[in-house]
Amino acid sequence: MNASTGGLRIEGITKRYGSLLAVDALSFEVRPGEVFGFVGSNGAGKTTTMRIVLGVLIADAGTVLWGGAPIDFKTRRRIGYMPEERGLYPKMRAGEQLTYLAQLHGAFPDAAAAASERWLDRFGLRDRARDEIQRLSHGNQQRVQLAAALVFEPLMLVLDEPFAGLDPEAVDSMSEVLHERAAAGVPVIFSSHQLELVERISDRVGIIQRGHLVASGTVDELRSGGPNRFWVDAPSARAGWTDTLRGVQVVRNDSTRWLIELDGASSDQAVLQAALATGPVREFRRDVPSLLDIFREAMTEDRVAATA
Amino acid sequence: MLQLLEPGRIRNEALRTVLLVARREFLTRVRSRFFVIGTLLFMALLAGYIVLQALVFSRATTTVKVGFVGQAQVLAQPLTTAAATEDVKVVRKDPADIRTGEDQVRNGSLDALISGDPASPQVEVKDDLNPTLAATLNAIVKQVALNRALTAAGANATAVETAVASASIQLVYLDPNAALKTQHTVVGIFVAALLYTSLVVYGQIVAAGVVEEKANRIIEILLATVRPRQLLLGKVIGIGLVGFLQLVLLGATALVAVSRTHVINVPNVGVTAIAGGLMWFVLGFVLYALVYAAGGSLVSRQEDLASVTTPLTMLVVGTYLAFFWVEANPTNPIGVALSIIPPLSPILMPARMATGDAQAWQVILAVILTIGEIALLNALAARIYANSVMRIGTRVKLSQAWRGTD
Repeated sequence: MNASTGGLRIEGITKRYGSLLAVDALSFEVRPGEVFGFVGSNGAGKTTTMRIVLGVLIADAGTVLWGGAPIDFKTRRRIGYMPEERGLYPKMRAGEQLTYLAQLHGAFPDAAAAASERWLDRFGLRDRARDEIQRLSHGNQQRVQLAAALVFEPLMLVLDEPFAGLDPEAVDSMSEVLHERAAAGVPVIFSSHQLELVERISDRVGIIQRGHLVASGTVDELRSGGPNRFWVDAPSARAGWTDTLRGVQVVRNDSTRWLIELDGASSDQAVLQAALATGPVREFRRDVPSLLDIFREAMTEDRVAATA
Repeated sequence: MLQLLEPGRIRNEALRTVLLVARREFLTRVRSRFFVIGTLLFMALLAGYIVLQALVFSRATTTVKVGFVGQAQVLAQPLTTAAATEDVKVVRKDPADIRTGEDQVRNGSLDALISGDPASPQVEVKDDLNPTLAATLNAIVKQVALNRALTAAGANATAVETAVASASIQLVYLDPNAALKTQHTVVGIFVAALLYTSLVVYGQIVAAGVVEEKANRIIEILLATVRPRQLLLGKVIGIGLVGFLQLVLLGATALVAVSRTHVINVPNVGVTAIAGGLMWFVLGFVLYALVYAAGGSLVSRQEDLASVTTPLTMLVVGTYLAFFWVEANPTNPIGVALSIIPPLSPILMPARMATGDAQAWQVILAVILTIGEIALLNALAARIYANSVMRIGTRVKLSQAWRGTD
């Protein structure tokens, strides 16, 4: 199977629901072998975008490209999809259900049954293959749901909130599977509200707000894009200890801790020396924004831009 | 590595998808407790009903214990023979004398005691004499009296008797099928009832199946790989086969029960009626199932289903009730027209075929019109279904479903 020729590109997707603009000229790319984390508030347009990629929803404008050409039904059938609203036949047995879905996606009957068994085994559900879905625990239903997206060796994975409601162990096995598929050259796109999780497992992140991308890039790119700040813990320092330094500003002061912002020209070592001059220094560390900080900032900037 | 069907390896990928969906629908439902128990129960009820009918319609034989004393003993042979043709069995228990016989009548071990002159015998009973036996006995006694009078007049009683015996009425049948007609009507009602029940039940199952996929959201996974039209068609075929299987089982039960009990003795009427019924089930089911499926796609919860299926169910039930009028007025042009024009034809025409009222051209026309309407509804239903099946939430308005916009 040659998945490496693929790669998802979304160009200028727009979708309206009546007067609501759900997705607004959205463009981004997910390369083969890349795990793309899709982040945004509720109603930002993540689910709508994913549904448009799958073709269960038709965009008002824009195109979805696969390997440079508009995606067709044949390719869409080979996308592993986990919708936000989970859904399986509650009265169908787990194994039969996966076999059926694999066949619907084009697998031969024998191959479908073997793949169904393999994935149930992989998620520790070998003994539950003959159980009806409705008799499985919530966590196990989630595992079968993910297996349903994987059972036909998809060309791409589109997972809407795959980690919602999972215990830490299941989160680990789920992220392991995502990386494994990505390593096989499959583009993986997933959405989540758990930002530290997104930060940890994504190669690239896209932040979506009110239907358009407000920030995107690798996690490092996003984090290094912020201001150059340091935390200094100097118990003897008094207000104004940085006054002699050029291009240095105090952003915050919580008792003994100071958040210092430096402009491009100033030296962090000069700040450290000034701090040592006041007395002992217990902490001196670069303040790298978390994805949550970046997300909050992006939201704020977007809100300011919208009201301006 | 997963083996996948490459384009071109299977001649018709769409057909394969439809069959996969149909197979799942069929197997899931046939293996369900609802189907297995329901079908067995129906078969038992149907067989029981037919056997009951057979018991009610068959004439019961009455047994009468009669004692003959003295000269009256000559009446025993002709009375037993004549009464037997009227379904009264005479058990002869002659007492030693009249007194013993009277005692036996009083204590109930004899129903009647006959004694005295055969031309005017005395018949002693407790309080009641079987009316058939009384009439038969009277006729025999009159015959004895007549024979005696003829002999007294010098005539040859045996010759007269032979002449009388050969005289009979000349029976002319002006409507020879009238007797068969009742049986045809019964079969017609049976066919109409079975068809209307199946159409309503399996139509509802289709609608509920559509809503089920919306309600548990699997529809989104399915539509990512299956086109709405394929899903709709597969569902209709799969569930239709379940209904067909059930009808075949019920029809076979009816045929076996009928042939064992002889409640219906029109040759082949059962086989023809059931074959016609099955053909019309296929046509009628596809017709109604498409509409039921489109209706089901408008709602997202089973609780809301009744609001869309009730009008359809009313139509089917109304058609069944209309059959009684159509059957009573077999040549009325309105009834004939109703049985030809869909959507009423799938119930009325097979019932009229079973009653023997339908003419060949009417059947052929009705089949052509129904197939035409199926083609039309297939397009309409597929469009409504495709536009509504992904809309979860409040009931989709028909106009929205048609246009496919918000």
